[in-house]
Amino acid sequence: MTNALNSQYFDLEDAGDAQEFYHSRGWTDGFPIVPPTPTAVEACLDWVHMPANEIIGIEPVRQQAVDAEKLAINAVMAGCLPMHFPAVVSAWMAMLKDEFLLHGTTASTGGCAILVILNGSIRQEIGARSDFNVLGSSDRATSVIGRAIRLALINILQVSPGAIDRSTLGHPGKISYCIAEDEENSDWPSLAESRDIPKGASAVTVLAAGAPRQIMNEWTIKPEEILDTYAAEMRANMRNYSIWSGNYAVIMPAQHREHMRVAGWNRNEIANYLFEKARIKRSEWSTVGKGSVVREKGDIEYCALPSPDHLLLVAAGGPAGGFGAIIPPWLGMKSQAVTVAIGACVDCEPPAAN
Amino acid sequence: MTIRVLNPTSESTVAALEPAPRLKSLEGKTVGIISNGKEGTAGFFAHIDRLLRERYRVAEVILRTKSNYSAPAEDEIIDEARNWDLAISGLGD
Repeated sequence: MTNALNSQYFDLEDAGDAQEFYHSRGWTDGFPIVPPTPTAVEACLDWVHMPANEIIGIEPVRQQAVDAEKLAINAVMAGCLPMHFPAVVSAWMAMLKDEFLLHGTTASTGGCAILVILNGSIRQEIGARSDFNVLGSSDRATSVIGRAIRLALINILQVSPGAIDRSTLGHPGKISYCIAEDEENSDWPSLAESRDIPKGASAVTVLAAGAPRQIMNEWTIKPEEILDTYAAEMRANMRNYSIWSGNYAVIMPAQHREHMRVAGWNRNEIANYLFEKARIKRSEWSTVGKGSVVREKGDIEYCALPSPDHLLLVAAGGPAGGFGAIIPPWLGMKSQAVTVAIGACVDCEPPAAN
Repeated sequence: MTIRVLNPTSESTVAALEPAPRLKSLEGKTVGIISNGKEGTAGFFAHIDRLLRERYRVAEVILRTKSNYSAPAEDEIIDEARNWDLAISGLGD
């Protein structure tokens, strides 16, 4: 496929010159970028069989179109190889759905990041890891995919700090926030399957998310007691940050999953338990300095999850350690997690035969 | 030997909107406030309301609140705003 690129181009002295050129224009996240040459950008577009001007979606609030060429340029800058690009495209398709409220999530003072969760065979094809340091710099694939999301926000939708991005604090996930589920070492259906993606299909799930809140409980093997620690952290988030119900992600590493497996607890049992336990009364706000907004509503009970189905339970993390994490939603259900299959397009033409 | 690289930005230019004509006076006018509905809006906009009526002799102050403070105002609010002489889009963070 030959792709006619439409972007303005610059002829610079060398790659070093390109670094300063991009930094000086505010087109980076502060780290070095891979110079987006036409050859590298075309390779990404060819990989997904998309013409340069293919519209990935339109940001609903500001009515800004996002096309494949601009996404590919930013993906190359982030360090993506062509094989990483389908996950970037699919994540953006998900982010541009109305229910994700991309503008609100990226402009808010709340400072959330966009968590991308990978499922299916694409994880292995691109070398995404799900074990050690999964919420850190675990591997090349998840690092560059997450970074591509952020660079594209900065450059295509002007989500720069102080411009559209009005975050008071932000968090490190705003550099890159992408993980892959450990499907091989889990007895559960994958997160994507639990969200109606057919088994065998690769998929991305996006969540407007706060920073991970790590927990530890390696002093019991009882599922109820282990999950009580997760639920306590969810309640703490409800008291200290946001009381509203939404999609909470729970990252459960192998050690806790093994205790669940032995006890016969599956995804549904875990979600049902957390749905029941992760609740607070509004009056609890008075214990953390927020008594002025309790008013006469102190007896109202709030649940972290609107329903058990709103839990995003992800099997991921290193093989040892009684740790886990909850990742809270940005702001209740104002932004909803979205899952899309990678490469699935109901109205796409098949690639032309050579 | 040079390297050719591409512009990563949208490159789109947004047409500047024409500002509404300024009012010479607020006296006898209808002023609408579109609130984002956050906690701080109640006291703040009540004060603005009082100032508009007492200091500027505004005839009527209408307060409308968005259902989602992170999303645009509903179409009904925008439609209603067409009948106002002045609209204030207000935050109450």
